[in-house]
Amino acid sequence: MKTLIRQAVRTGITFGIVNIFFVLVGFNMLLGILFAKLSGIKQPGAVPAPQFLIIYTLLIGLWAGLSSVSKKDELVFGKKVLLSGVTGLTTGVLTGLLNTVLAFLLINKINARDFLTVLSFDFIKGTLFGLPPLQGILLTVLFFTISSVFGGIVFALLKLKSVQSKWDGLKALIKTSYEKIQVVTHGRNKLLWQIISISLLAVVVVILPLKWGSYWNYVFGTVGLYVILGLGLNIIVGLSGQLVLGYIAFFAIGAYTMALLNSPVPHNLMWGFWPALVLGVVLAALAGLLLGLPLMRLRGDYLAIVTLGFGEIIRILLKSDILTKFTGGPRGIQKISGPTLFGKPFASDIDFMFLIIGGVLLAVFVYSRLQHSRTGRAWLSIREDELVARASGVNTVTYKLLALAIGAAFAGLAGGIYASRNQFTGPDEHALMASINVLSLIIVGGMGNIPGTLLGAFALKGLPEILREFANFRLLAFGALLVFMMLSRPEGLIPSRRPKYQIPKDPDKIDSGKEGKNG
Amino acid sequence: MNESGPLPVAQKGDKHRKRVRIIKLLRPALGVVVLLFILFRMYQVLVVQHEFGPDTWTRLLISGLIIGAVYALIAIGYTLVYGILFMINFAHGEVMMFGAYAGLFTFQAFGAIKISSVPPTSFLNAYPVIAIILAFLIGMSISATLGYFLEKIAYRPLRKAPRLVPLISAIGASIFLQNAAQLLFSPQLRDVTNPEILKRGEGWKILINGSNVVISYTGVFTFVLSVLLLIGLYIIVRKTKLGRAMRAVALDKNTAALMGIDVNRTISRTFIISGALAGAAGVMWGLHNGLVYYFVGFIPGIKAFTAAVLGGIGNLPGAMVGGLFLGIIESMGPAALGIDFQLKDVLAFVILIIVLTFRPSGLLGEVLAEEKV
Repeated sequence: MKTLIRQAVRTGITFGIVNIFFVLVGFNMLLGILFAKLSGIKQPGAVPAPQFLIIYTLLIGLWAGLSSVSKKDELVFGKKVLLSGVTGLTTGVLTGLLNTVLAFLLINKINARDFLTVLSFDFIKGTLFGLPPLQGILLTVLFFTISSVFGGIVFALLKLKSVQSKWDGLKALIKTSYEKIQVVTHGRNKLLWQIISISLLAVVVVILPLKWGSYWNYVFGTVGLYVILGLGLNIIVGLSGQLVLGYIAFFAIGAYTMALLNSPVPHNLMWGFWPALVLGVVLAALAGLLLGLPLMRLRGDYLAIVTLGFGEIIRILLKSDILTKFTGGPRGIQKISGPTLFGKPFASDIDFMFLIIGGVLLAVFVYSRLQHSRTGRAWLSIREDELVARASGVNTVTYKLLALAIGAAFAGLAGGIYASRNQFTGPDEHALMASINVLSLIIVGGMGNIPGTLLGAFALKGLPEILREFANFRLLAFGALLVFMMLSRPEGLIPSRRPKYQIPKDPDKIDSGKEGKNG
Repeated sequence: MNESGPLPVAQKGDKHRKRVRIIKLLRPALGVVVLLFILFRMYQVLVVQHEFGPDTWTRLLISGLIIGAVYALIAIGYTLVYGILFMINFAHGEVMMFGAYAGLFTFQAFGAIKISSVPPTSFLNAYPVIAIILAFLIGMSISATLGYFLEKIAYRPLRKAPRLVPLISAIGASIFLQNAAQLLFSPQLRDVTNPEILKRGEGWKILINGSNVVISYTGVFTFVLSVLLLIGLYIIVRKTKLGRAMRAVALDKNTAALMGIDVNRTISRTFIISGALAGAAGVMWGLHNGLVYYFVGFIPGIKAFTAAVLGGIGNLPGAMVGGLFLGIIESMGPAALGIDFQLKDVLAFVILIIVLTFRPSGLLGEVLAEEKV
């Protein structure tokens, strides 16, 4: 019992610290205002009405209560209630301490905004629910305890046998129906099903861009470009296992090739879109080769830091004064002209959306063909163990260079389209953070596979656009999410499936040979 | 590769060997070319053009030494962690940033406490030594705490995971800490209130070549304190029981555990030490450069990591030498090669690429790039 209570207290402390952090970054106010909006009440200032902050407090308490009794199914009902109460009380007391300090600041009129930027007097009054300090502090503790106990009770009820069995039944139902669908789609009519699903996808892909507004076309265009980038980096990191951190430099090469060849300022070359795109892809691939040649001896973190350095070199050079005449310097290049196809200029976002979809399809095609080819297997062997790969006759240097060049070419393609679509490119678009974004998206999605890359690009580039309300908290949540993902699901949302050697059920076939090999 | 059979493989191997021989010749040749080019360029700039007098060179050298000492201090943190866990602690620069904020706030708070009104004196200027010591203690302990929890929350559960996983976790932690600082402390740039005795820009003046070269008090302070901390760390690692435990864990965790070393505790303490050093570097950065903002740790962090790799990562003297080397290259290199000072970062990274091309293990490192990774 003692250890249980200690655990509950520890959970409470964790939640208390998290809540204090939330308050100090102003997250409680943000959620309060959101609740107020949802209920339809207009809020004039940055501090919502007290009842919405009470809702916030109750929700945090509920969460604390739920997590304090989760994974403790064997306990009796009363103990669960006790534990959740202890947790809630601890969280409440910690938050109450914070509120005491805040109230002290308020009473003595000490302006702490120089230190912590949210701490205006209005904010403190709001945090104390607009009540006198003592009542506000006591209410905080009370609210946390009550809601936590409530959460514990809810959880205890949810875990009762009848509810539990229904839940399990539902899970089993989903699993069996999924398996049934798989049997149908992977059975005799596999080809038919593939044709149906591909044509359905094609219809969606053709119709959706026409129906979306320009904003969504823009957002999903960005997602599409990041899919291309992600697939390219997946070839380098996911397949051949070389950690490259300056990947966005190749993107910059593609973008700047497009920009310099198709903008009136500074050179007024006006080659047109398609030659510039091809040249950008070729130049990016060449840059990949050139970077790779001296560095093939390096591995792991050394390669990571050197490629990071390479990315920064490209960015700083683009930004510097000595190249201003040639690349436009820090202000970048504007008025990049768009592509024309059969004499028809690309005017709207819809055209660009189709171009990007075309690029994504091309990238997916190339990637999937490479992945299951002899080259792809060579890359996998290098990733798993370079020494063994070399010993079994894989020319590791060539294949690593090939991976770098092809991956870079993907980035060049994305860069060219990107510059042409935005009609602008500048050095700060190609900062280290962009490389890290691409790396994060393939890892969050699941390394080395196409659906994972699609999902990762959507999750990291599409979701933030949808969650505009949380503008300031987006990157904070992104960072926390990355850590959380690595802790809970390091193989990504959609893990890569390894090709398996299937042993046929009929024992005679094992001797007769190679039919069992699959994938 | 099964289809190709034994014979073609052997032929391939011959071709491969020939190519390897060519590459082996290529590398030194390339090195000679690069070296000759650099020497030629330096000759042109230093002897033919002769743009700068000795006064400028002294100034550049001083600023290089100061910034190099700070880099060394941060680089040590990377190298300690890398030596034990083989992971890049990407959030180390952010740990330093929090130290810088702690220092900033301590100085600000002491500056706001008035102890006598005529003449107006604040605590900061009445007892500057106490204030500085306290600022460093607070900054170091905040950063050490942060380092401890960082390891406990974001890295420890991932110790057995593939190498990319903790790196991504570290990147996530770095983004999180940066934005947390932005939300907590507001995105504006802040000036550090230095105590009177350590005013920025003031210092001893030396007359060289007819012009005054200022050796700033903050610079000397930063350099001396960095060197002291580095010596202290070296003593900890070489002479104490904890240091022996750290080295044992770095060599082999399982064997160290069999010898009765608490591996988890040793790693935690390593993070505490590296965090404390980064915190000290942060406070110094604030004192010397005067500006603190939420992005302040990022560039020094990357540079310090570069320095650690330059010196040979996992190697303590290497990190110190790499830091000083990088600082001096950064401040004197552009002048010596006659290029724009904007490009000092380019120079730093180009040096990194050159050094790793010709010496993949870094300046002082053991051959780690291929063996242990």
